[in-house]
Amino acid sequence: MHDSRAARLVQAVLRCYPARWRRRHGDEAAELAALLIRDGTPAGSIVFSYLAGAAREWLTPRPGRRLSAVACVLLAVACSLGLSAGLLASAGPARAASPSTARVPARPVQCRTGSPEPVPAVIPAAAHLPVIIWAAGHGRAC
Amino acid sequence: MAVGRRDGRAGQDVLRRVGEASVLILISLAGGPKHGYALIQDIKELADVELGPGTLYGALDRLERIGLIESLPAEDRRHPYRITVPGAAALRVHLDSVERVSAAGRLRLQLGGI
Repeated sequence: MHDSRAARLVQAVLRCYPARWRRRHGDEAAELAALLIRDGTPAGSIVFSYLAGAAREWLTPRPGRRLSAVACVLLAVACSLGLSAGLLASAGPARAASPSTARVPARPVQCRTGSPEPVPAVIPAAAHLPVIIWAAGHGRAC
Repeated sequence: MAVGRRDGRAGQDVLRRVGEASVLILISLAGGPKHGYALIQDIKELADVELGPGTLYGALDRLERIGLIESLPAEDRRHPYRITVPGAAALRVHLDSVERVSAAGRLRLQLGGI
């Protein structure tokens, strides 16, 4: 691998490390990689070593960053994504197919002349379920 | 310091679980302060082990965190490291332990006639 290309690759991999690590070792690590490449060490093995090191840095629990907290956040994100996907997959088409089961808003929506025609819509993942159903029924009522 | 507490328990081998790279780094630093590149070169000569730079920095951070080594003021962009007094004590305990196990292994090989 060409030296300058290898150096750019090493720089890119070093950006995978946490900022704290880069402040401490970043410059020295880049210089060390350049010296090792000059000595004949394959650039690929240096890059791989730094990649593995970066993964270890992120995964090793630190006093201020507990692994359990990280795991909880990941679990919460995964659950919310799964729940949203499930709601979109099941509730949306089923409600649209049977208008009788759709919830009618407490106060009827008035259609103004010249207003753009409302379209059946499904509001993305983070939206509340009732809003999705109201929007779906509104197009037909007008 | 964590090591200070652990050293209180007489002769406990704190290096048993830190990995080969950390032990090799301590052995290299026992000969005097060194920075990353010098460590890699020395360990290659000493043990015929090519330490990857990612492994090196991980081990240096771990050893520094538990107080077995300390970093010296940077020279240019390089940080030299030096073994601490608890680090030297821990290395001595570990090498004694390895020596005992090694002697026992040799004896068994001899007795077994293998």
